[in-house]
Amino acid sequence: MRRTAILLAGIAVLALLLTPATGTATSRGAPGVAAQQQPSDSPALNARGLQLYQNACASCHGPDPNGPSYYPRVPSLKDTGGAAAVDWALRTGRMPWKDNKGPAIERGEPRFNEEDIRALVVYIGKAVGDAQVPQVDPAQGNLQRGRELYGQACSACHGMNGAGAALGGENIAVSLQNVEPQDVAEAIKIGPGQMPVGGGLTDYEYGTASSTQEVNDIARYVESLRTDPYNEGGAPIGGKGPVPEGFVAWVIGLGGLVLAARWIAGRG
Amino acid sequence: MMVMERSFKYLDERLGTASLARKTLRKVFPDHWSFLLGEIALFCLVVLVFTGTFLTFFYNPSVKEVIYDGPYEPLRGGHVSAAYDSVLRLSFEVRAGLLMRQTHHWAALVFVAAIVIHLCRVFFTGAFRRPRELNWLVGIVMLFLALGEGFTGYSLPDDLLSGIGLRIFYSVTLAIPVIGTWATYLLFGGEFPAGDIISRLFVFHIMLLPALLLGLVGVHLAILVLQKHTQFPGQGRTERNVVGKRLWPEQTFKSISLLLFTTAVLALLGGIAQINPVWQYGPFEPFNVTSPAQPDWYIGFLDGALRLGPPWDLNLFGFTISEVFWPAVLFPGIAFGILTLWPWIERRFTRDRAEHHLLDRPRDAPVRTGIGAAGLMVFFIMFLEGGNDIFGVLLYVSVETITRILQWGLLVAPVLTFLVTYWVCKSLKRTHLRPAQVNAGVRLSRSASGDYETAALEPASEELEPSSK
Amino acid sequence: MSDSDQQGSERVDVDRQQGHGPANRQLTDDQRKAGRSAGIAFAVTVVAGVGLFVVYFSGGQNQLEGILFAVALGGLGVGVGIWANRLLDAREVVEERHELTSGPAGRQAFEDALAAEVGPVLGRRSMLVKLLAGAGGALGLALLLPVLSLGPAPGNTLKVTPWARGKRVVDEEGELVTLGSVPEDGFITVFPEGHEGAADAQALLIHVRPGSLKLPADRLAAVPEGTHVAYSKICTHAGCPVGLYRAENQSLLCPCHQSQFDVADGAKPFFGPAARPLPQLPLGVDEDGVLVAQGDFYDPVGPAFWDMNRGKR
Repeated sequence: MRRTAILLAGIAVLALLLTPATGTATSRGAPGVAAQQQPSDSPALNARGLQLYQNACASCHGPDPNGPSYYPRVPSLKDTGGAAAVDWALRTGRMPWKDNKGPAIERGEPRFNEEDIRALVVYIGKAVGDAQVPQVDPAQGNLQRGRELYGQACSACHGMNGAGAALGGENIAVSLQNVEPQDVAEAIKIGPGQMPVGGGLTDYEYGTASSTQEVNDIARYVESLRTDPYNEGGAPIGGKGPVPEGFVAWVIGLGGLVLAARWIAGRG
Repeated sequence: MMVMERSFKYLDERLGTASLARKTLRKVFPDHWSFLLGEIALFCLVVLVFTGTFLTFFYNPSVKEVIYDGPYEPLRGGHVSAAYDSVLRLSFEVRAGLLMRQTHHWAALVFVAAIVIHLCRVFFTGAFRRPRELNWLVGIVMLFLALGEGFTGYSLPDDLLSGIGLRIFYSVTLAIPVIGTWATYLLFGGEFPAGDIISRLFVFHIMLLPALLLGLVGVHLAILVLQKHTQFPGQGRTERNVVGKRLWPEQTFKSISLLLFTTAVLALLGGIAQINPVWQYGPFEPFNVTSPAQPDWYIGFLDGALRLGPPWDLNLFGFTISEVFWPAVLFPGIAFGILTLWPWIERRFTRDRAEHHLLDRPRDAPVRTGIGAAGLMVFFIMFLEGGNDIFGVLLYVSVETITRILQWGLLVAPVLTFLVTYWVCKSLKRTHLRPAQVNAGVRLSRSASGDYETAALEPASEELEPSSK
Repeated sequence: MSDSDQQGSERVDVDRQQGHGPANRQLTDDQRKAGRSAGIAFAVTVVAGVGLFVVYFSGGQNQLEGILFAVALGGLGVGVGIWANRLLDAREVVEERHELTSGPAGRQAFEDALAAEVGPVLGRRSMLVKLLAGAGGALGLALLLPVLSLGPAPGNTLKVTPWARGKRVVDEEGELVTLGSVPEDGFITVFPEGHEGAADAQALLIHVRPGSLKLPADRLAAVPEGTHVAYSKICTHAGCPVGLYRAENQSLLCPCHQSQFDVADGAKPFFGPAARPLPQLPLGVDEDGVLVAQGDFYDPVGPAFWDMNRGKR
């Protein structure tokens, strides 16, 4: 009876620990307002954008997107990267700010639908004078070149397999194992939070052919982390390397064998 | 079977094997589960040798640049070393190759874990006391060899993660005073990244270290058989006997069963739990890095020590002692020095020169148990720090906070652990509880004057097989 | 024959007399049940073994192979374990320990054997023995000489890198780096032209926000436009590439042991185990707008070593 219980407990632990886990929120967010084209302008859209801004954003970012914010830790929207930043923050659910401690790093469910996001993007983009939302096409990207560039520019913070890592203080480089290509293009352009502008790429200039190609390449590689992660060896145990592996070795490996030893031998 | 009987007769006529075999088969070994922990380590080693031999047929210890042309698409057409290429080929293009490789790596992790828990059993039961000090030394050396085998092994694929670890090893060797630069240049073959190191590690990993390790396993077992195994005190057990089961058939069957379970667990992990996916890390480039960056668990305490270490470098008459020296050279030197010399250190304080074949229960030696627990706490804190960025993300705490807490913890926790452990041992001793003894109850008796008295009844003695009839 | 042997054979005879020999054994109920369980376990192994053949020859699959191997081995392990514990006539046996020591007499006998005549000129002070010791020492040292062939002398190599005055700055692919190559709040990894990928030359070029650098005047002069500052990428703690740049804080983090360096303040370490700042690389701009080095790094790069600050670079 007791032995059966231990056996079942062991199997449960095994199942639990071998369930793939990525450690960070995996909400993917809305597919993106710029999936096909730049957001088109219209008076209705602008009015909606203004209304939404006043309701949801102005309390922190100030009455004018192009002006100062109300709090020292809250950046003015003219400094954060224009329309691309708005699109990125709203689609990935990072804005409106839902926490009361620290920067909005973790993804979440987007609070606005596609229409409203488009309205805010257009309105704020116009107000700060940067209405460009990047277009990305991972199908045009070269997977091998993307991997190479990723290793040069991104892996130090995000890990070669996109698992993410701590950056000191309250900062985290998030997991990229479940993001949209649009997120990649926007993040490289704006350098959100602690991320460098240009993502660490040489000669990055938004809009140029070479930079667009490089972003497509990286987006293709990041997409492959989601669609084709090559976890041939089995459960990735979080993809965070030797620390979780050591945990499994002790708990499942040695733990299981100690149980076996107790079954085999007596207490003489 | 006729064939077996004839072969046995053939051997005996030439080597006299029969009487030696009979003596050996009749040897008695006590039957406690904690005496099997060393066997778990031994069987992990068996798995390592078999899977490792398979791997050597495919691995190419060369840093020569080749173009990768295999099924891992993101890397196709890329420049990688021949060593890295051979590991990817084994993982993706050889049937059961990845299973063998992963089983090998899991076996390495469990091998060192089993050694550590076996060491703890030996330590906390005082089995290292006379006459077994030599076997303690042999065991400690084997622990170091196992650490070396692990480190050299996971550095062989020349991937980004292990390459970073090699860079740190290079820097630690550099930090040795006086001879550091020379020792490093001789070991690695020049300035980092010295290409020779991969093939040299290969020689250590498949030839030098296994030869020493297997030889010492033989010595370890020979001493054990010669001196006979220790046993826990109990009914019928004295310093002058061994009570247990015979090598044949009971202990052999049990050991075979444990061997099979060990192989089963390692094969299971090797199949369903991904470990060291080197294709995801990519080939080593000395100017790239990946996060998070940790070594395999058994080197994790060194990584944690390096993270905890204070930023104090010393300048003595123009010579520099790197800040790396304290956590990576001095601390392991002292800690492992104490561990190695422990039987003699303990003897100096207890003045106990007697032979011991009966084990202590940990509570019977509160100081030793307390010090052992405190030592384990030191290593545990270092392990935690080694994973501080991963725990930080998991617990929403910054790496700085974890580091500060563990730095203070390193000063405070071992002392606290010793005190608490000591107190627990003393309390347990006072209860006079002994394991697996049925409480026979209390005898109530009335004296002539009418007072009632209670006296504990002795538990019924178990009849052992009489030694002669 | 030794004592325990004697007792052992007596015991066997006693066994036979009491009818405990193999031929006279009747199976108990528990043994019958145990036999059935062991049999089932072995049967499971057979099935799993067959499964392994099927999986392997139909292309192989790592997870299935691992599971089937585990089941096959586990089945056999369970069966043998049941056999060991419930099918064998497992009784506890007592064996006497023998004396481990040879005793003073034994040791004396050994010493006598060792003290046989070695030669007429024995004695620690004899010339012959001294020469023998000398020969052993000389030969022993000489035998170690091939170890010195394992690697070159360190010389000056740890203190210098390929960077030199006039070397143009390029990225990993050899593309020339200009003032426009890095946006504000951006950073890239750079090398001297002709030495792309050189491990000791790797450097970070960071475009900091204007006015934020707090360097002494002579160091600031080596920062083009006061914003394009370059530091060695090799951590001064244990040599890992310091690849994590936090743009908002303008600080670098090393992933290996979390040393953190303040880019605006000469890459001085402000947290973690590193003791020395990342050495700065002096830069200028040539007439084509390409960034060029004005010399090697100001200090030796990478982790500290014994004679780091002695001798010339």
